[in-house]
Amino acid sequence: MGAAASSATFSGERSDLLSWLTTTDHKRIGILYLVTSLVYFGVAGALALTIRTQLARPNNDLVSSHTYAQLFTLHGTAMIFLFVAPFALGLANFLIPLQIGAPDMAFPRLNATSYWMFLFGGFVIFSGAATNEGAAAAGWTSYVPLSAIAISTGLGQDLWIVGVFLVSVATILTSINFVTTVFVYRAPGMTMWRLPIFTWEMIATSLLIFMAFPTLASDLLLLFIDRRFGGHAFDPAHGGDAILWQHLFWFFGHPEVYVMILPYFGVVSEIIPVFSRKPIFGYTGLVIAAFAIAGLSMGVWAHHMFTTGAVNDPFFSFVSLLIAVPTGVKFFNWIATMWGGSLTFPTPMLFAVGFLINFLLGGITGVMIASPPIDYQAHASYFIVAHMHYVLGGGSLFAIFAALFFWWPKIFGHRLDERLGKWCFWLLFVGFNVTFFPMHFMGLEGMPRRVFTYEATGQLPLLNAIASAGSYVMLAGVLAFAWNVVLSARRRVPAGDDPWGANSLEWSTSSPPPEFNFTALPKIRSERPAYDARVKAAEAEA
Amino acid sequence: MNDRSWPSLATTQSSTIVANWQLYLVVGTTVAVLVWGLILFCVIRYRRRSDAEPVQFANNVPLEIAWTLVPLVLVCWLFVYTYRAEASVETVAGTPAVGVHVNAYRWGWTFAYDGGPTVGGAAHGPILDSAGAPPPELVLPLNETTRLTLTSSDVNHSFWVPAFWFKRDAIPGQTTTFDVKPDELGTFEGHCAAFCGLNHALMTFEVKVVSPQEFARWRAGEMHA
Repeated sequence: MGAAASSATFSGERSDLLSWLTTTDHKRIGILYLVTSLVYFGVAGALALTIRTQLARPNNDLVSSHTYAQLFTLHGTAMIFLFVAPFALGLANFLIPLQIGAPDMAFPRLNATSYWMFLFGGFVIFSGAATNEGAAAAGWTSYVPLSAIAISTGLGQDLWIVGVFLVSVATILTSINFVTTVFVYRAPGMTMWRLPIFTWEMIATSLLIFMAFPTLASDLLLLFIDRRFGGHAFDPAHGGDAILWQHLFWFFGHPEVYVMILPYFGVVSEIIPVFSRKPIFGYTGLVIAAFAIAGLSMGVWAHHMFTTGAVNDPFFSFVSLLIAVPTGVKFFNWIATMWGGSLTFPTPMLFAVGFLINFLLGGITGVMIASPPIDYQAHASYFIVAHMHYVLGGGSLFAIFAALFFWWPKIFGHRLDERLGKWCFWLLFVGFNVTFFPMHFMGLEGMPRRVFTYEATGQLPLLNAIASAGSYVMLAGVLAFAWNVVLSARRRVPAGDDPWGANSLEWSTSSPPPEFNFTALPKIRSERPAYDARVKAAEAEA
Repeated sequence: MNDRSWPSLATTQSSTIVANWQLYLVVGTTVAVLVWGLILFCVIRYRRRSDAEPVQFANNVPLEIAWTLVPLVLVCWLFVYTYRAEASVETVAGTPAVGVHVNAYRWGWTFAYDGGPTVGGAAHGPILDSAGAPPPELVLPLNETTRLTLTSSDVNHSFWVPAFWFKRDAIPGQTTTFDVKPDELGTFEGHCAAFCGLNHALMTFEVKVVSPQEFARWRAGEMHA
């Protein structure tokens, strides 16, 4: 049934524009999310390249200080709110009903609403660039009083608040949809302890979203009231508290880090077993670790505020250090999955191993800056820029590419080119490390983040030149992917139902799946129903 | 201007901080090499050599308990050292030799010494471009404790001297204090580390550590200027 479906655009019947605008099919909404977030990634990446070009040499004047502030504000906002987090929502939208054997999400129209709010939220954020005073320029963290009306007088800041608010409400609605779907829509035999790890990680992610995003939405509302309706929540001159913004923002902001990484832990937990030809090692441990990380991450927000001198450093330091334990459990589980396996390295596996290598470094620097004395030097320096990019770029971004190459055949019915895929991996892997590794040293040498220029002291010119060169290698990697998409769409090499010999339920239906996902469900007797069906078929033949 | 590429350790506090860096670097590097090594070992050793299905094992409870408990003990141990280091860095003296009120504003610094003088500030002129006025200078006596009290008159700023391995935010409506005891002569650069708008990148200052005698002379000179 797989090859026959490869000529279909999607889910069978209609494929005109109106059908995409009005769809409530989780697979189409998933694709809309994925494509939209990749477009935002392209825009945010272009902003990053402009940033790296400006910083390629000291005292450069490619862009003005004001333009630079808009560049890094929009780069951070778009990468976080419009790419890394929503890409996971798109992937989960496509995968969760397929992985649990459901025909759709629990609330299909709510699902469509979420997508359109997310899309237009992004437009609203970027529309600030068309206003007189330009787009928001207070950083993605938008600290008050910098973002207060007295300082940031432009409409761009208001549009940023409204746009991020829309995205955060959309995210909350989607998380409700995910949890409800998993709890009530599982197929017969799909018990909770047989859920694929990706689906488990999305439950943990959704719970984090419930707890964290309403706080962000409140924080944004307060700021909007302060700016436009004469409120004083953050105004110390009228009894408000400037530091309250930071507390509320990071109460969202640190869980948000895990909203951006837990889904990708799920992605590599799906991919590594397939290309090791073994079941995932320590299934129960992985699930417990996901919830341990989610729980602990709610109690670490003030490690972003050690240098304020206004929080209990030892408490937040200790809880932050503890997160290393469940994260370590996951690493050991992934390694034990490969241990004794029969490993192959098509592009998804290369990206998964790249994820392990890069993310480990981001995790270790994360443990370092959980120490307040270390953070006193590292905070707000390029050391932090290096750390967060190893987590979100070396970690999440590599898992995103792993996911794209792994599920592309299932989503679109045809394979991506392997040779171009390997080029994409190596260019991104080398480019990423050349760009971001030197930033650790820039930070230690005393380069603050968010500076549009720097003096030619010490090794800073050399380190910055290396980082900027690396960013262009990354561009080549992304272009290799774009070319791969075009080329593969022209060739349309049929994928078949299960091109990788995979484990979870989505590989038991056609590629792409029919409108309501399954014409027949295999028996679900473990967390590897597709594998079980293969073994059974082989036995029947023998 | 200090032109060395690596920040020196210019205060007694910075030696404590750097000892903590070194501890984490050693532990972190060890863990990284071990885990990277295990990954590379798997990638090389377990490459597919035949079509035979590998043994389908998925659990080893004692092993899983071990790799939960060992890291737990490790981070608790790290925390003990971290707690001590932090307590030492945060200790403030009963009677500091010098007190300076540091006020940050868009875009510059005022250094008001208890009992005078006041240097920097608006008199210094706003920073207009990188070729503008020279950065204000915070002069500190060697081997004596200086109490710094931080405030801000507009948005968040952050007082950062890389050679002190330390920064502290200046937040409107909040007063923060900390001590530094410089133990190296020289001039060290300082930055604003919290993004504060257009001229954030240019909001620098210098810290000049001099002998107590020279400090007294400088102070008297400034007072009578």
